Amino acid sequence: MTDTDFVPLGVLEEQILVAVLRTHDEAYGMHVRREIERTTGREMSIGAVYATLDRLEAKGLVTSSRVAADGPSRRLFKLSRLGARALTDTHAMRQLLWRGVDLRSLSILARS
Amino acid sequence: MANHPPAPVSPTRWAIPRIPTFLLRALLPRAERDEVLADLNDEFLSRAAAAGPRAARRWIWRQALYSAPALVGWSSRRELTGFEPPANSYRPGVSMLKTFLADARYAARRLRSRPGYTVLSVLTLALGVGGTAAVFGIARPLMFESLPFANTNELAVFWMGGSWNEQEFMFLRDKFPGFRSVASYRQGDVALKDGTAPMRLIRGLSTSGELFEVLGAKPLLGRTLRVGDDVQGVEPVVVLSYGLWQELGGDQSIIGKRFNLNGTLRTVAGVMPRGFWFPDPAVRIWVPQILNPQRQNGSFTLVGRVAPGADPGAMGPHLERLVATLGARFHYPPEWDKTKNALVTPIRTELLGSMRPALVATFTAMALILLIACVNVAAIMLGQVEGRASEMAVRTALGATRGRLTQQLIVEALILGVCAAICGGALAATGFRLLAQTLPIGAWGEAANFDWMLFGVALAIALAAALLVVLVPTISLWRGDLRGALNRARTGGIEGRGSRLEQGLVVVEVALAMLIASSAALLVRSVSNLYSVDPGIDTRGVAVIDTRASVDALGGTASSAEAQRQRDIDAVVAELRGIPGVRSAAAAMKLPLRGNGDTFGLTIDGRPDVTDANTFFRIVTADYFTTLGFRLKAGRTFTSSDGTATGEIPVLVNEELAKRFFPGVNPVGRAVSGGFNIRQRIIGVVANVAEGKLTDAPSPARYFYGAGGAWFGTNASFVVRTNPGTDPGTVLDAARRTVQRIAPNFAVYETTTMDRVMDRAVGPARQIMSLLALLSGLALVLGAIGIYGVISHFAARRKRDWAIRVALGLTGSRVVRHIVGQGATLAVAGIVIGAIGTVAVTRLLTSFLFGVSTVDPTAFAAASVALLIIALGAAFIPAWRAGRVDPARVLREQ
Repeated sequence: MTDTDFVPLGVLEEQILVAVLRTHDEAYGMHVRREIERTTGREMSIGAVYATLDRLEAKGLVTSSRVAADGPSRRLFKLSRLGARALTDTHAMRQLLWRGVDLRSLSILARS
Repeated sequence: MANHPPAPVSPTRWAIPRIPTFLLRALLPRAERDEVLADLNDEFLSRAAAAGPRAARRWIWRQALYSAPALVGWSSRRELTGFEPPANSYRPGVSMLKTFLADARYAARRLRSRPGYTVLSVLTLALGVGGTAAVFGIARPLMFESLPFANTNELAVFWMGGSWNEQEFMFLRDKFPGFRSVASYRQGDVALKDGTAPMRLIRGLSTSGELFEVLGAKPLLGRTLRVGDDVQGVEPVVVLSYGLWQELGGDQSIIGKRFNLNGTLRTVAGVMPRGFWFPDPAVRIWVPQILNPQRQNGSFTLVGRVAPGADPGAMGPHLERLVATLGARFHYPPEWDKTKNALVTPIRTELLGSMRPALVATFTAMALILLIACVNVAAIMLGQVEGRASEMAVRTALGATRGRLTQQLIVEALILGVCAAICGGALAATGFRLLAQTLPIGAWGEAANFDWMLFGVALAIALAAALLVVLVPTISLWRGDLRGALNRARTGGIEGRGSRLEQGLVVVEVALAMLIASSAALLVRSVSNLYSVDPGIDTRGVAVIDTRASVDALGGTASSAEAQRQRDIDAVVAELRGIPGVRSAAAAMKLPLRGNGDTFGLTIDGRPDVTDANTFFRIVTADYFTTLGFRLKAGRTFTSSDGTATGEIPVLVNEELAKRFFPGVNPVGRAVSGGFNIRQRIIGVVANVAEGKLTDAPSPARYFYGAGGAWFGTNASFVVRTNPGTDPGTVLDAARRTVQRIAPNFAVYETTTMDRVMDRAVGPARQIMSLLALLSGLALVLGAIGIYGVISHFAARRKRDWAIRVALGLTGSRVVRHIVGQGATLAVAGIVIGAIGTVAVTRLLTSFLFGVSTVDPTAFAAASVALLIIALGAAFIPAWRAGRVDPARVLREQ
């Protein structure tokens, strides 16, 4: 990882990219939203999901294509190479950040 | 896969709520709209099946509301960056929001390039919006807000308000059947002397101790009045209003402080909270009335709270028992019989009911103006749509749907509406105080407060008006044939779409204007009838200074105070005569045209049939009759030597008294009694004067000379007649200063003129009339604008037609006649419809009408003629223009 091509991600962007990754071939807006709700346990608005996905596509982190469905056609999202890099970088950065932190004493402090 | 568990649902079982769906539909970009809505619908149904429709509905609402900011940001970002994902390449499209913004920009450009149309529409709407909002602001506290008393629906006011006496109240106290508690009160203005500041007169109420308990009102500081405060010998106390407390410094330590009120030192017992009033907001001080069971002075009103469970609307049986008790103890003359027509009135009706007709009439008139304004703007807009027919046809040919064209009209109307709301709000803010004082709502007008909510009201009214306005061109748009319009525009076709609609609008407008104009005409007639009632005096050129003397009970006896007061009055009158421009001056306890006032029973020597007959009595000084212009019918008036009489005192009577009690006999020289415990000798007869209300039938009255036995009370009104040509308003200041210099313990509470006293006596009809006259002027102007607009549009549309006819030999004057005829037809149709409507509506005005029927032909004719003249005038301008048209030029142009 070099400083020059590191793309910083916001928390919501990170969550949405992970959710796109996890929903594989079914990464429609609504599925992404449900996946985030399922993993984080928090309700998420469909507007925020679509607005973020659009922004991510504008940045080149995801791509979208139209696929036919039962009803109206849907935009299906895929992680792009740049998006995959951004997620890897963020993940690595996070591990770096947490390395050496005593998690046990942290959870004791949190519970005290 | 993270799908929700699929549930077997029937899609028709639960309907997705419409409002959040609509919101999302409006905000989502077109390309993604269907997909997102379909997904939301699926999830809504599965949630409804799993967690119940209620939870699902809450969820969809949350989705819509939380999505809104993100979606607005999304649309505006796409707009700003121009980013459109490749996946949308075959489904380009924008959100409704985006088209909305584009339409707004387009409409703003269009409006800017047509300043005449824009300013006319905005001002027209603003007049209606501002007026309606201002009247609403004034009427709201009176008609819709709750009163500042506990459980208002248990409170009721007794019949014959203002004529109960202490003896009756003390006799009935604690035994009012069906009532938990009853209080008596009467007006009790007090002169406040605070340190070295000049004495001030404060509107107050003198009340029995129960009042606040009956009203269920709690104090802000200290305590309210209670039973026990109203007996002789206890420490005199007083309760202040919030406003008066603020004026006196607003310090909490005021409780326990003592103030000199009417010459008595009173301790402040409590302060009422802000917003409390009783019986109207002008009353700012409440003083306990020391109740004396012997006193028969009848000027009290009774207010009571019914017993738990009793209904104030069904107190009949209780009142019958009350009347029986009353009748067994007291004997009443037939005209003052309290045992007849016993009735209690709910407190809201009693306190505010009298203002209702005025408010409703004004509000209706304002709403009509607003409606006329809407119709007017709708007609103008329709003309614009007509003029844009080819533009719209081209846009349709290029793929614009009718929905899209309608959206554009709506956006334009909304922009007009918002501008009108801003102007109207400003208008309401400036006109509010003026309107509050013009409306006949007394102290309420003084107390009316402008509040910023009015802007909200103005906006709501303006937007509603804008949508109403856009309805008409929309109908025309949806009914019309747009492709045909393109052809017609090219060939200058004769009959345009919507012309009949446009004419219909003008007819409606004229009809509404007729409604207002004929109501105003009715009131003008009524008011002129009132002014032509002869009050019996000459009101011109008389200045009036109303004073109230402080009863200085701190030293001296009551009778020495009365004698001192009399000397002060004489001294003031003598000084007033010396003011330059003054011809004569006098004083009276009570002036004519100001309501009934005090009465005394009259007994005539040697006439056993006349004992205690009800007569007004007035105490006056020597020149009173000449100063006010009374007409002397027999005998003489008072001279200064009359004050020294002993044994019996001289008295003047009016013609009505002479006619009723001395029929066919000259009453001069006859002796009578009743009042002041002294015999009276009639020395003269004066013509009847409206001593009570202007329109009352004449009542018997006696006039006493204010000295030697008949003393002035604490009220004295000084009257000053100026020399011919001198405006009485110019001596008011000098007169006020004279009173303050000669008699410093007299508080001057009003300076006015007799003409203004007359205006006030004419009453609310005059105020409503000026307002309606103003509004009908407005309605006529709006009507004229409407007719002008439609006729000039009509003339312009047929320009080619006229040109051909003129080329074939039609004269210009025939063209003018034809076009003016069109305008006249519309106006006459409107006038006829309006006249029919007026008959139905003028019932609202009945309480203001005097000597005029609601279907008065003169008023109707006046309104019709005025409207017709204005309509013809408005139609003539475009007609004249059309008559002078040069056919060669028109045909070349086309």
